Amino acid sequence: MKFINKAFLSLALAGTFLVSSCDSLLQVDPRQSIDANGALNTPDAVDAALNSVYARLRSVRNYGRDLFALADALADVGQTTSNSGRLIGENNNQPNAHFQAGFWQNSYFAINEINLILAGLPGVQGASAAQLARWEGEAKFLRALYYFDLVKVYSYIPTAIFQAGVTDEGGIPLVTEGVITSGDALNRQTPRATIDQVYTQIYTDLEDAKRLLTSRGVQYASGGAASALLSRVALYRGDWAKVVAESTAALSSNVGTVLSGSAYVNGWRTPVNPESMFEVRFALAEESIGVNESLQSSYTALLNLSNKNSQGGWGDFIPNATVRGFFGLTPLQIGNPASDNNNWDVNRNSDVRAQLYTTGNTVRGAGRQIECTKFMSKSGFAYADNVPVIRKSEMHLNRAEANFRLGNATDALNELNAFKALRGLTAVNLSGDALLEEILLERFKEFAFEGQRFFDLKRNGRPIVKTTPAVNLPFDDFKILPPIPQREVDGNPNLNQNRGY
Amino acid sequence: MRKVLLLGLMLFMTGALAFAQDRVITGTVTSTEDGLGVPGATVLVKGTTIGTATDIDGKYSISVPAGSNVLVFTFVGLRSQEVTIGNRTTINVALESDVTALGEVIVTGYGTQPKREVTGAVSSVKGEAIQNLPLQSFDRALQGRAAGVQVRSSNGLPGGAVNIRIRGVGSINAGNEPLFIVDGVQLNNQSNAAFTQSNPLAFLNPNDIESMEILKDAASAAIYGSQAANGVVIITTKKGKQGKAKFEFNAFAGETQPMKFLDVLGGSEWYDRERTAWINSGNANPEANALNSMGVLPSNWQTLSRDELNNIGLGLPTYDWQREVMGRGRLQNYEMSVSGGDAKTTFFLSGSYNYQESSFRPVDFERGTVRVALSHQANDRLNIETNINLSTFQQNVPFSIDGAFLGNPAFSASAVLPHNAIYNEDGTFNTAIRGVLGQNIVLVNEYNSGVQRTNTAVGNIITTYKILDNLSFRSLFGLDYRLLQGDNYRDPRTPDGAGVRGRSTVQSDWRTRFITTQTLNWNKSFNGVHNLSAILGLEYLSETREGISGAGIGFPTFQFRTIQSSATPESITGFWTGYRRASAFASVNYDYKKKYLATVTARYDGSSRFGENNRYGLFPSIRVGWSMVEEEFLKSSSVVSEMKLRASYGLTGNDQIGNFDARGLYGGGGNYSGSAGIRPTSLANLNLGWETNSTLNLGLDYGFFGNRVTGSVDVFDRRTKDLLLSQPILWTNGFNDIANNVGELQNKGIEFEVSTVNIDKSGFRWNTSFNFTYIKNQVISLYDGLEFLPANPGIAVGQPVGNPNGQVAAPGAWFVAEYAGVNPATGRPMWYDINRNITYLPLAADRIYKGSNLATHFGGLNNTFTYKGFELTAFFTYEYGAVVSDGQYGFLRENGTRLALNVLREVDSRKWSEPGQITDIPRDVKTNGGNEVRGAGRNSGSAGLLKADFIRLSQVTVGYTFNPTLVSKIGLSRARIYAQGLNLWTYTDYPGYDPEFTGAGTGQIPLTKNYTIGVQIGF
Repeated sequence: MKFINKAFLSLALAGTFLVSSCDSLLQVDPRQSIDANGALNTPDAVDAALNSVYARLRSVRNYGRDLFALADALADVGQTTSNSGRLIGENNNQPNAHFQAGFWQNSYFAINEINLILAGLPGVQGASAAQLARWEGEAKFLRALYYFDLVKVYSYIPTAIFQAGVTDEGGIPLVTEGVITSGDALNRQTPRATIDQVYTQIYTDLEDAKRLLTSRGVQYASGGAASALLSRVALYRGDWAKVVAESTAALSSNVGTVLSGSAYVNGWRTPVNPESMFEVRFALAEESIGVNESLQSSYTALLNLSNKNSQGGWGDFIPNATVRGFFGLTPLQIGNPASDNNNWDVNRNSDVRAQLYTTGNTVRGAGRQIECTKFMSKSGFAYADNVPVIRKSEMHLNRAEANFRLGNATDALNELNAFKALRGLTAVNLSGDALLEEILLERFKEFAFEGQRFFDLKRNGRPIVKTTPAVNLPFDDFKILPPIPQREVDGNPNLNQNRGY
Repeated sequence: MRKVLLLGLMLFMTGALAFAQDRVITGTVTSTEDGLGVPGATVLVKGTTIGTATDIDGKYSISVPAGSNVLVFTFVGLRSQEVTIGNRTTINVALESDVTALGEVIVTGYGTQPKREVTGAVSSVKGEAIQNLPLQSFDRALQGRAAGVQVRSSNGLPGGAVNIRIRGVGSINAGNEPLFIVDGVQLNNQSNAAFTQSNPLAFLNPNDIESMEILKDAASAAIYGSQAANGVVIITTKKGKQGKAKFEFNAFAGETQPMKFLDVLGGSEWYDRERTAWINSGNANPEANALNSMGVLPSNWQTLSRDELNNIGLGLPTYDWQREVMGRGRLQNYEMSVSGGDAKTTFFLSGSYNYQESSFRPVDFERGTVRVALSHQANDRLNIETNINLSTFQQNVPFSIDGAFLGNPAFSASAVLPHNAIYNEDGTFNTAIRGVLGQNIVLVNEYNSGVQRTNTAVGNIITTYKILDNLSFRSLFGLDYRLLQGDNYRDPRTPDGAGVRGRSTVQSDWRTRFITTQTLNWNKSFNGVHNLSAILGLEYLSETREGISGAGIGFPTFQFRTIQSSATPESITGFWTGYRRASAFASVNYDYKKKYLATVTARYDGSSRFGENNRYGLFPSIRVGWSMVEEEFLKSSSVVSEMKLRASYGLTGNDQIGNFDARGLYGGGGNYSGSAGIRPTSLANLNLGWETNSTLNLGLDYGFFGNRVTGSVDVFDRRTKDLLLSQPILWTNGFNDIANNVGELQNKGIEFEVSTVNIDKSGFRWNTSFNFTYIKNQVISLYDGLEFLPANPGIAVGQPVGNPNGQVAAPGAWFVAEYAGVNPATGRPMWYDINRNITYLPLAADRIYKGSNLATHFGGLNNTFTYKGFELTAFFTYEYGAVVSDGQYGFLRENGTRLALNVLREVDSRKWSEPGQITDIPRDVKTNGGNEVRGAGRNSGSAGLLKADFIRLSQVTVGYTFNPTLVSKIGLSRARIYAQGLNLWTYTDYPGYDPEFTGAGTGQIPLTKNYTIGVQIGF
């Protein structure tokens, strides 16, 4: 009987224990995450949160590949090889083969993180004024960059809006307040702002960034980078005087160096391109995008330049006849046997940029092609290269174009010829539309495989003239714009889909 | 009549004569089934409490008092017999097996119940039914055995994942796995292997299983509360029985074989096809381009004529890559068990070894297990019991579980261009493989290596104390511990390892689950007609999981294969997670004369997984039954031997979500420029609670002709409310989704089971059992009045949600533009737009619903023939109604137009080749990624969808059991030999490897045929 009592007692005790202290019994806290409330209260946390925003630029859907390779595939830069089957639809301007949903998603996630950082700055304990200025400046630079990338992709560019007010669906949703509660997340349905509102917001953020920032390395935002980005934004907005002013400011900043001759070519062979004013850093082996979708793999089948027989990536997207023509590129056998890939190179003209192209390899069984070698694992491990978002050279071309538009043709011509000299080209003497065409052509040559061409055509309202396949995309085609991710349109009655989708 | 009277009188007289003295009767009790003695059978003098039990050989001796003249022989599972003694002193009886199964006891939640009193929907699968099947985990063996239980192997990996769905798919985002309980220990069967699939349930040797009960309706499962929404599978392992130690030795061995090789084109055929494609594309040099696609264009091709080039192409050789990498595998199984005990202590010990190779080398499975079951009756009231299952299994891993990886043999074997030689003439590997699949998979397979190891300990200690004769206390402490380790090496001699000079990846992942259950069992009978019993219990469970993994690159040479030899650490990561649950439950059982039956249960669960405001849930249930055979109007029926109506309704919960899904968190992520990053990872939902599952079940158990025909019919309506839905958040708001309780899902259906003894005559016996299930699965509602989920329009009101593969969201119904075949005039693929007009470029608005990958009809058919010692079993399973997309087939269906891949002969032979041809395969073109310019891809919409219906001869067994008296002469109590075949025949028009798989289907190892021969010896 004694045992019975004990048994009952222990059961009763156990029961009481369970009921009375269930809440503490059921309390389990995560160990690799922290509560969102107050997560950004310390300087270290803000630094870490900003790192995440920078890191999102590395995404394949952003600068990891698409803002360079996919954008160029949409334009008239190259042709596809079918080696892995990637970028074919984009190169053919197939419907829906365009910037992907992940680009929108990743960019808006970054923007939300920025908005949360900015909202949290007043609550950071023990932060110095310098830290606060740096955080605010970098956050605003990044917000401007993400919004600029989004708006240039999903909307028409102010200098060439197709049937403005008739078919124009406007800009993109402009969100400047962070979401961290389920209530906001479930209920906020932001409509598209006008294109002008988006550009105005980008201006505001970049002006703040310029004011607040100095430089701590080109992998981070700086005042010089803010001016440089502002120069390009103003170029897209047709704000020519601003372009001249900001290009000049950027050129005079201590961020980045304009290179010429072989130094320019060597700039593409060092981890950090000295021309960069802002570049996305790939620092660790685990950040490598890998053999399928990295820029290197998209552009070349080579693993490195020292041995062309090493199996590398796919080489899915290679220069077309136009680009090969710019640099006089034709295959050249430089030794025997012909089956050895190291015995092949290309003929080149005097343009130093021709050094950035060579023959690839046949290791994957595909034919030997002429490929772009701007991205060759410079970070020190396979398939990872820092991505130069803005190179200082662009400032000359921005300023030349803006000066032309402002009627300062002489300044424009002088700047163009000075730039051509840097690239080993002789001066030209042009005026009028021919001068503008030459400036744009120089821009095409300079930034081939750097994702600018599609937007240069788009901002000028020009058709895309394709060589392979020879099916052109007129400016009035709906496929100039990508579809806004269908889930966003389905879930947000205030959001209009782009025409044609 | 007179005779009867006379006989009665005589009996009475005999009794009277014997009145004065006790008699000793001896004899042997045997079973008619195998002729062996039945140990432990009860021999009772009728009308008295005098009784004895048979010994190990089935012998007994009993003293019968004067005045008694009838002995009653009983044994569980055998039909009782009453024998009049007369003037005999030796009485041998042979007990028949009880086909009526009236005495069968079913394990239910926290207790057992005679089958005839069960009022819920419970299926029972006996251990014998799945004995000696060359399958690594018992879940796979459940396929086709029980109505309402759909089992699909994910692939042919030995020890791989098995997709088991009890009464459909009840959740879109939370898990759909049933709760598995082994010896009272609730298992976590989540698989976390990094390099292959390691089914956690493969820890248990299926031959150690005594029985499996599947609680299907919510009312039966409700006592398991928040984990029971997807049903409960209770596994009872073998225990020792009183008697002399019995040894069992069991061995089988055999081989696995591919069920199918895909019929693909040869080298010259592929060339010819490619040339035609170039011609279709208007190319001026089709021969040269075709040779170039195959990487065999001579450098002097411009000097050759078209005919000469053509001759090169038509002379290309063919190599059979599939037969090079797919082939026969070995399988073997050895085990030994000992069981026995005395009146106080019983034991069961077993050890086993199992090995099986898949059809793709080197993928295999190797397991060793040790099992101990001990029970000790310390005194009249106290019983102590323990069950310990220890197991380790190791698998040589595949290149990848699935996926279109160049180095993946399961993907590349059928798709690599056939003119590529596997070996050079000197016997070395050919590394110049042409076409998009530029890796020699035989080399890759040979050079890479990796193993995945799973060590599991599942055990318990149970103390039962009889407080009163009708009140007992049971205390269980259980542990489920699992350690997963693995390493995988990408050899620097393979293309994937070359760029990084070799990569070694390692994983270590350990999970500890502790459970304790304290229960009180009480029963009482009032006036012999009102029977009442009750269970009251408390339970606590805590689980933690922790792991680390890392990778290193840069190895000196290929001989150095472990991570410490790597020059550069590439990545290192780890994690910790955990949860806890505390519960109280009660169950009350009542019956009136075993005629009217009722059970009421309730469970109250609290879980750390849910939002602060919604941590606790109540899960009640009620079951009622009416055993009509107990009524006077059926009692005397010669036709109806069992008739019971059942009805039940209950609530269960689903808590299979992430441990911290309700929390708003910042987590690590987004390192930049060498320093760490953090970012918001989830939104808080303080109100997040259970997904509630309610099932209304109506059932009928029937038996006719002395239970030669038995079975049951159930209809059910299973509703899942407050779905744990990952409600999409607009990306512009910075998050992807939030776990929220919204929406409703329905699975309604009918289950039918029948077992018959068709012939039972002069030793020949033919048994048949058949089951059939039909389930209609559909979304009833979502949220905010939405007709479909913005993030996945396949999840739509009125449509099935599909069958999720593993720990992922339900895929939804197929929502695609309907394929309209090929334009007979031009060979272009066509689709229907939403107005049923033909379009070449279907838009989002043209999509319609086209079924899902969840089968609507399935079941099994088993036939067993026995004659003397011979037996023959033929077991069929079938599935109907699933529509799947098979990535492997999809790649091959492109017919080489987009990528230089081999093609299926049956697809190629159907391709459009001349105007007027009506077919479903478009003409081949080479431009534009193999698609018509500005036309949709040829596999778009429903073009690539396949019906996955099949009937399969899952198992054939031919066996012979030697005459027991014969084998006893050489000291054996039992000897049986058998031959067995699995998956010998499949009826299907499926064009891919096999219709039974889950997932994308790309590069997955298909199921195999297995042949074994085996021997079972008892002594």
